[in-house]
Amino acid sequence: MTTTIQSPAMASLWFQGKVALVRYWAYLGLLTGATGLALFGGDGYTESGYLPMLISMQGVIWLGTGAVLGGALCVVYSIIRPEQGRSVLAERLVSWGDGILLMVVMMAIFTLFEPSASAVSYEDQSNLLSIKLIMAMNMAFLFSAICYILLLFAPDSFVGRMANITAWLGVYIGGSMLLLRWYESYLFMDGSIGHAPVSNLYEVFMLLFCMMTIIYLQWEKRYQAQAMGAFVLSLVAAGVFFEIWLASVGQADIKPLVPALQSYWMKIHVPLNFVGYSAFGVACGAGMAYLVREWLEVHKPNGTMLRAFPSLEQLDELAYKSVAVGFPAFTLATILGAAWAAEAWGGYWSWDPKETWALIVWLVYAAYLHVRVQHGWEGRTLAWWTVSGFLVTVFCFLGVNMYLSGLHSYGQLS
Amino acid sequence: MSQRSHFSRIIINRLGSMPLAITLLVVLALASVIGTVLQQNQSQQDYLQQFGPLWYWLFRSLGMFDMYHTWWFLTLLGFLMVSLSFCLWRNVPRILKQTRTRKVYISDRAFSHITHQQSWLLRDVSAESLTDNIKNRLKDWEWRSEQRGDTLYLRGDNGRKHKLGYIAVHSAMLVILIGGWLSVHFGFRGDMSVVEGTSEHGISFTEGTGVGHLDMPFEVRCNEFSIDFYPNGMPSEFRSNLTVIDQGKEVLTSDIIVNEPLYYKGVRIYQASFGDGGSDVKLKLYKLDGSGTVRDASTQVYQTYKDEETGITMEITDFRPHNVENMAEAGHVKDFQDMGPSLDFIIRGEGLKPVKVRSFLNAFELNDDNRGSIMMISTTGDKQDFQSVALGIDFSDPQEWALYNAFIRELIQTDPNDKSAKMVAFKAAMTEVFGDKRPDNFQAMAVRVLQATQVLPRMPWPFLPVLEDYEQKYYTGLQLARDPGMNVVWIGSALLVMGLCIMLYISHRKLWLIVRPEQGALRLSMAGISNRNPLNFNREFHTLLSQMEDDLRPHLTAVPNASPQSESK
Ligand code: HEM
Repeated sequence: MTTTIQSPAMASLWFQGKVALVRYWAYLGLLTGATGLALFGGDGYTESGYLPMLISMQGVIWLGTGAVLGGALCVVYSIIRPEQGRSVLAERLVSWGDGILLMVVMMAIFTLFEPSASAVSYEDQSNLLSIKLIMAMNMAFLFSAICYILLLFAPDSFVGRMANITAWLGVYIGGSMLLLRWYESYLFMDGSIGHAPVSNLYEVFMLLFCMMTIIYLQWEKRYQAQAMGAFVLSLVAAGVFFEIWLASVGQADIKPLVPALQSYWMKIHVPLNFVGYSAFGVACGAGMAYLVREWLEVHKPNGTMLRAFPSLEQLDELAYKSVAVGFPAFTLATILGAAWAAEAWGGYWSWDPKETWALIVWLVYAAYLHVRVQHGWEGRTLAWWTVSGFLVTVFCFLGVNMYLSGLHSYGQLS
Repeated sequence: MSQRSHFSRIIINRLGSMPLAITLLVVLALASVIGTVLQQNQSQQDYLQQFGPLWYWLFRSLGMFDMYHTWWFLTLLGFLMVSLSFCLWRNVPRILKQTRTRKVYISDRAFSHITHQQSWLLRDVSAESLTDNIKNRLKDWEWRSEQRGDTLYLRGDNGRKHKLGYIAVHSAMLVILIGGWLSVHFGFRGDMSVVEGTSEHGISFTEGTGVGHLDMPFEVRCNEFSIDFYPNGMPSEFRSNLTVIDQGKEVLTSDIIVNEPLYYKGVRIYQASFGDGGSDVKLKLYKLDGSGTVRDASTQVYQTYKDEETGITMEITDFRPHNVENMAEAGHVKDFQDMGPSLDFIIRGEGLKPVKVRSFLNAFELNDDNRGSIMMISTTGDKQDFQSVALGIDFSDPQEWALYNAFIRELIQTDPNDKSAKMVAFKAAMTEVFGDKRPDNFQAMAVRVLQATQVLPRMPWPFLPVLEDYEQKYYTGLQLARDPGMNVVWIGSALLVMGLCIMLYISHRKLWLIVRPEQGALRLSMAGISNRNPLNFNREFHTLLSQMEDDLRPHLTAVPNASPQSESK
């Protein structure tokens, strides 16, 4: 933050041009190293062995080598082909890498404040630091939602800034808390149950909040669509209340993984799926904003609130952009899920309720994309489509777990 | 055009049209819902019970119990394939032609319809330097020019790949559907249960409302099945040690676990489930008539044991070596304990209500306190309705059973109105069983025996069956599958994702420049269009305009006189 204000030249150097490109390739190398470690490191992959492996000397070597190789490759390439100066993609993506790195650093700092192993036990997890961080994250998101709603009634740059800052705060606390929860899962039973925090409804819900907020914040940054925040963050806030309820019925504990989930696929398939779900959530927020704006135009054409809203075209476009983010991610996630199923269950497609609902969601958004190309359909239809599409999505990740049984039933509330 | 070709043209247009695509996608989504709400491939009896005869018959005739394989659902998928083929058939040639020809000339009329445009009147500048200037500004665009009379037309394209995305996505869907069809027609997938120590070679699978069988060209022997548990009793790993036997020869021995299948001769063998493989179990039948008689009963899981003396039968349904339960009260810190092995059976007899019973081998201990043996009884036969019954005494200790019987016999001889009689009877029973060497825990024993006198006489059966000993044997549930369509599906999937990214993230942007002499100067008109992402393009076009204006400033004759229309409509 301070660097951008004090020396824009430094910052632009860091985030643009060759430096960004080299850093981008270093991050890619890091990722490749982490994948390589999962596939070929040690005595093969075990879900409960991965995090210790990552932070062991071996992990440092794999990831470090990956990063150095990636960076070096890029340096060499840019010496050979000096005219290939900048890449827009790299410039966009490095700041994501930086953000994740910051979360990892925050998580590392948090571990210092973790109660000693004797103060926590599997049976009594109430002392874990992550519980307090979840509380802080919830507060940040709720506060942000209130600010965004306030902004509709009283457009004020200070409130807007508070809304934005608390939303980012929620994202960073949430992200680092999830990483911390991963670390915490090793504190019990001699580390035998350690696993990434994407294994049950409670955990993925927090992932959902963070991702939805991140996607929305990108739109806010690029298209100044602040009024949309009231809708997206309200959806997040509703999720927060649901998550608090989940915790109150004892769903918040870190639990061991059933055998079917002990696979590296889980770490790829689940987060990618939630990129899709969150993007559809943001699209729903844009759709709701569209419908409200349309109502306001008819009923309160001179109201102040109308001025706070982005234009109808912009909202429609943002809804589409969200779907354009979510649809390929969801497609890939479903395909990877099929690949996992092929490895674990003996078939890539079993028409199990979760799979089928994923297909339904996918069909709904595929239809949305077609409706959009089709001339003669009004923006309102599309807005309703995104809203009801998200209802279908919610049923897919929530309703199926609660009401239908099938192979995916480890997601079920117990 | 003949009548017929006209007709087929209409059909082709309809089949490849957008409204049909939307309708198909939505109909397919709706149809898919049905199969998730109605549980698929359950037993026919369950369905009959659930829906009653009329609905059962209706649903069954519509194939609702195996919906995704019914003719009408497959027809729907087939229709999707046909429709995809036609939309490719209709659009691909057009797209390819467009990419090949890329007309440079644009009529003034068409030009004026483009939303983003601007024009300048310029002096002292050549048409070439103008076009070079913009080509320099937009290096990664593809340019083509054409001279018509005194007018120079220049066309630039960026992101022409976009249309290839369309072809990729829609052919990918076709490829995936074809892969699925190959899987269904030339592959198989079925279950095989192998009891430890035995071998099997057939698989079974549901086929409509029935069950199909298929023999494998090899045999699978299960040498051992084992489960590892987490301390809270959840299973952490299922592992089968398997040997594949091909034509009598042992060709391959390996462990499989969930997520790590075995591969032999094109068939994958997965760890899918497990269960009791017919364990040997021993029960003791404690006669409840006060005689203290105990008989032995040996049987196996899935067998029905018949007691010749009383005519009572016990149908053994399941054996479990571990029963880990959270012993803490709700809201308290969890406390997981293993209650040890248990046996489930259904007990029937003349004049008796059949009930489901779960008998435990060990006595129930809470906080290191022996609370005596327990038994779970479900009068409905449903596992959910199990209610635990504390039997009082610990049946694993024969002396407690002896003490109980001695006590009952003494009690009968005392006067029921005498308050101290119980005490006296108990003392007598103690002496009968232990002589004068009373065990240290006799007080706890006394509590348990007293409790037993409240419970045991009320038992409906002439004897109480209690699990005594076992020799456990599992079966491993394997799934065997061959899938020749799988790789086709993966190829289609890769194509789909790539195509989607191209289609959704690359927009095809076009620019036209017209340079035409006008009043001794040159009029430069520029128009731009993008097939998607208007917000970005709007911004991009504006940036380009201001850059151009900087470049052209020295040559500008006057303010631009064509009304700027660069706001998107
Ligand atoms: C089954 C899965 C299908 C998927 C995943 C799919 C996907 C897509 C996508 C993502 C688009 C791009 C929309 C946009 O420009 O934003 C598209 C466009 C289109 N689709 Fe499909 N589609 C499917 C089926 C069909 C079918 C069955 C038809 C024909 C009956 C069809 C006809 C078209 C046409 C004509 C376009 C417009 C292309 C253009 O002008 O840009 N699609 N499709």
